Amino acid sequence: MEGRPKHVDVIAATEDLRRRTLPHAPRALDRLIYLASMRDYNTGLYHHEGLAARFSPEVACEALADCHREAFRELLLEPLKDLVEQLETYMISTRTEPLDFISTWKDLAPYRIAIPVGTDSLAVELLFSNLKIALAILERQQTQPRVRTPVA
Amino acid sequence: MIELLLFIAIGVVLLLLLLIVLRRPPAPAEGGAVALVAARHSLKVLRLELLPAELIDRIFGRDDLEYVETMGSPEIRELFTAERKMLALAWVRQLRGQILSLKEFHTRRSRMYASMNRQTELTVALDFADLQFRCRVLQLVLQWRGPYAAPRLVRRTAEAAAGLCGVLDNSLAYLTPAISGPLGTDSGRDSTPV
Repeated sequence: MEGRPKHVDVIAATEDLRRRTLPHAPRALDRLIYLASMRDYNTGLYHHEGLAARFSPEVACEALADCHREAFRELLLEPLKDLVEQLETYMISTRTEPLDFISTWKDLAPYRIAIPVGTDSLAVELLFSNLKIALAILERQQTQPRVRTPVA
Repeated sequence: MIELLLFIAIGVVLLLLLLIVLRRPPAPAEGGAVALVAARHSLKVLRLELLPAELIDRIFGRDDLEYVETMGSPEIRELFTAERKMLALAWVRQLRGQILSLKEFHTRRSRMYASMNRQTELTVALDFADLQFRCRVLQLVLQWRGPYAAPRLVRRTAEAAAGLCGVLDNSLAYLTPAISGPLGTDSGRDSTPV
């Protein structure tokens, strides 16, 4: 990619992204995962066909990167209670068996690859720590009713 | 014969000393661009990554603890407090590291700029010492009593660090030549290779 995209174009593309695409991912966790999935693992560049066609690949890349950082920051500052709710909603949306989802997230920690490049280490540690606790809370919520169910 | 050996030994020792001196990396120029960039980076880290009030609230605030306590699970509470303690200690460690980096820069710079106000220099030096002391005390208290042991000390330390950032920002502006426009900071912010 050559040349730097103009700042005004990036702002316009970011607005476009917020208006057309991101309303489909209303929660910060959904947005973080969605935007991370738009990033090429090998190059670190973000791709979005529609946005690139309306603006340019470079502008689309910058806009997606901006929204990714924004989603990360928003999720980072969510109270733990809200994070647990968001994680539960996301888990339900995947239609995976809850305990399988929790076990996979605890073992593989897929959220580790959803972090924007260049994020400071303390912020990353804080989010990972909160997700770890949120998973423990979800696991307890899933297992507790079974424990309490009296044996017939 | 003994004298000859003595002279050879002295020669060898001098040669070794010369080699050691030659192998030492050159000392960075005091007040040079690298030191200035490092100081600016420390200020940026403090302002944007360590001192924002909402971040401090997330780490040291009791809201999340109260929520966890409603779970009624000692295991989750234990996990939560252990995680928060780790984060709190990481915060203080990073704060102290950046303060030390700024102090080092400030010490070098004050040697170079003899014309600078002595009283301000002394005040800043005392602020550095005070902050380092606070960070040490915080580290001990958080290690010993956990992340919620000293909320006022956390707040005051953050306020003192923010105040010092303001003073140093002004003195760094004095040392930095005026640049008319941004130098491509957008992609540098997250290293997005565009």
